[in-house]
Amino acid sequence: MSITEIRNVSASASLDISNPADVEDLIPPDSSRSRLWIIRICSIVFTFGAWEILGRQVDPLFMSYPTAIAHAGVRLVQNGELFTALQSSLRSLVVSFGFAVVIGLALGLLIGRYRSVEAATDWIVNALYATPKVAILPLVILWFGLGDTAKIFIVSLLAVFPILINTISGVRNVPAQLIDVGNAFAAREDQIFRKIILPSAMPYMMTGIRLGIGRAIIGLVVAEFFTAMTGLGALIVKYGNQYDTASMFVPIILLSFIGVVTSSLVKWVEQRLAPWRYTEE
Amino acid sequence: MGAKIKLSVEDVSKTFRIRGGQNSEDTFLAVLRHVSFDVREGEIVSLIGESGCGKTTLLRIIQGLIRLDAGAVKVDGQTVTKPGPDRGFVFQQASLLPWRSARANVEFGLELQGVPAASRRDQAQKLLRLVGLETSGEQFPHQLSGGMQQRIGLARALAIDPSILLMDEPFSALDAQTREELQGELLRIQRETGKTIIFVTHDLDEAIYLSNRVFVLGAKPGRVKKIIDVPFTGIRPELPELRGDPRFQEIRAEMWNLIRKPVPLAA
Repeated sequence: MSITEIRNVSASASLDISNPADVEDLIPPDSSRSRLWIIRICSIVFTFGAWEILGRQVDPLFMSYPTAIAHAGVRLVQNGELFTALQSSLRSLVVSFGFAVVIGLALGLLIGRYRSVEAATDWIVNALYATPKVAILPLVILWFGLGDTAKIFIVSLLAVFPILINTISGVRNVPAQLIDVGNAFAAREDQIFRKIILPSAMPYMMTGIRLGIGRAIIGLVVAEFFTAMTGLGALIVKYGNQYDTASMFVPIILLSFIGVVTSSLVKWVEQRLAPWRYTEE
Repeated sequence: MGAKIKLSVEDVSKTFRIRGGQNSEDTFLAVLRHVSFDVREGEIVSLIGESGCGKTTLLRIIQGLIRLDAGAVKVDGQTVTKPGPDRGFVFQQASLLPWRSARANVEFGLELQGVPAASRRDQAQKLLRLVGLETSGEQFPHQLSGGMQQRIGLARALAIDPSILLMDEPFSALDAQTREELQGELLRIQRETGKTIIFVTHDLDEAIYLSNRVFVLGAKPGRVKKIIDVPFTGIRPELPELRGDPRFQEIRAEMWNLIRKPVPLAA
């Protein structure tokens, strides 16, 4: 574009920035966000409505529908069955997940940082990682019986791997130039570990924990199916055997709720701990 | 400028071994061969040379980040082999710790030394003021521009009060305007603190503008080809003005001839 052309444009354009039609927004207007929410709510209402209507057409043995599930839920809350099962499940979950976090983080940090620890453990980590852990559940029940110990063992075993693997890759991915900074300022090994490797690997560790929670819930339910004594998994089996499909859905929905709440909780913590990783988005 | 020798590099050699694959032999790369020089107290020295001449390797050897094969590095007559509080390092990429605020980054070295929090804070505030960022202390690196990050990198190196500052192409990733601004700042800070500075760069103008002496390194293996005294003394004019000085042009031409690769003549 030549200079005269530019002059022409600026002379002819009687641009009025107070006229909103002449100004283009760089940021999408708020209305689009609320519009997306309206779509989302419509989708939810439609899905549940369709479920309610179609669910009533089907033999209640095979499928239930929202209002029937709600009634069953009220009954299970009132007779205390749901609360007892929830308490038992949560207790196993918290204990075993605690084990998984402690072992996964500690071992992951050591394996990631020290080649000798890696050499001592990588064969068993790889072997166990590749094994579908639920396959050894019958064996675990033989060892520990049908009580909480078996549940805790299998849930810890399932949850520990995502935490372990992510922690290892977190340590491996610490930028070399940040380790260099530590070395240049004469940091001791323990200082490099605490002040550089640990904070740098933190987001990976949190991701591992978030994935681990999902695994832990799966492990818990499968273990409770097998032992079928206590917990939400046992409740599912019980009502499944009684052909009471509506009641069976109650613990299923509660489990999915637990899954959503815990993983968004971890995600929230994740963003608080590593705000610099979430600014690019 | 005191005539006292602050840093001596004595006959330093370094060879890297490059491990071959399964069917090939290891190869050896002589990066530095018998490099010797002295740097006086309060002096700014630039190391310049074509890429691969080992200028960064030399700087890292002085810092103690890389072991040397032969020779010695002495600070105040004492041989040094490891990083220490007598030398501060400024990295090419500012390399700030992203989870720490600007202030906490400046405090990093002091924290490692176990300096109590209150005096760390005071020292950090002083240095943030020195680099012109006293109001940005609570910001995180991703909120700072490249130039500001590099100022924080400089403040971090100065916080441990080293007598020697080692700078590895610290302004090379910045845009031209920010670079000139920071060059001026560095000269001011050097006048105020009296630090001895060793500055690696591949920018000829930058080397002349900043330095009392420029060490031109040759490659394969790296060695000191020539030491050029920069004749300007006292407070220098701005770089654009200095470029018009005939002495500047003369030194620049000399350095250019030393650095550029011989062009093979057409057969």
